[in-house]
Amino acid sequence: MDVTTVAELSGNIAVVGYGLAAIGPGIGVGLVVSKTIESIARQPELAAKLQVTMWLGIAFTEALALIGLATPFIFA
Amino acid sequence: MSKASNDMFRRVVILGIALSGGIALLGGLIGFFVAGTNGLVSALIGASLTAVFGTLTALSVWFGSKLPLGGFFGLVLGGWLVKIIGFSFVIAALTEATFINGPVLFFTLVAAIFGTLAVDTVVVLKARIPVIGD
Repeated sequence: MDVTTVAELSGNIAVVGYGLAAIGPGIGVGLVVSKTIESIARQPELAAKLQVTMWLGIAFTEALALIGLATPFIFA
Repeated sequence: MSKASNDMFRRVVILGIALSGGIALLGGLIGFFVAGTNGLVSALIGASLTAVFGTLTALSVWFGSKLPLGGFFGLVLGGWLVKIIGFSFVIAALTEATFINGPVLFFTLVAAIFGTLAVDTVVVLKARIPVIGD
């Protein structure tokens, strides 16, 4: 039986890596922010404390994005 | 935003930049011995990128908290979006550069990120944010 090419993809696989590095932290930051909005809506008097906690959550989540986007320097 | 929060963010920004500077010096020294001038430049760029992007997050929350709630989330999330796109472009431009030593830049960047996260956490844990703003 002859092997035939059904579909062919061309391009750089690193682009998929860029996408993955953005989508994970994107979902993470979305969750952090949505929960903060929910919490502020429930207890507006805690907004200042919640904003600080949210910033810490975003800082940890975006660290993953920065490391993921910088991986071409060692894997390229 | 209370005075305690203002003080906390001021301390986060100052300590984050100071720590990135320290890591830039140490990384630059190691990079210089490992890869010469390219290593030194790469370490300086790696630590500077972390300092800029880490500081921008803290600044966006700091100044955003002086705005109404919609403005706060707009500034924080808009800033995050612009930052990630900007970072992608910078990284794409740097991977093509000839004066870069990839591993030195990467490991300096990661060390600076972990360092600033540790500083952020310690400052937040030590901060006394009142429940009612003044």
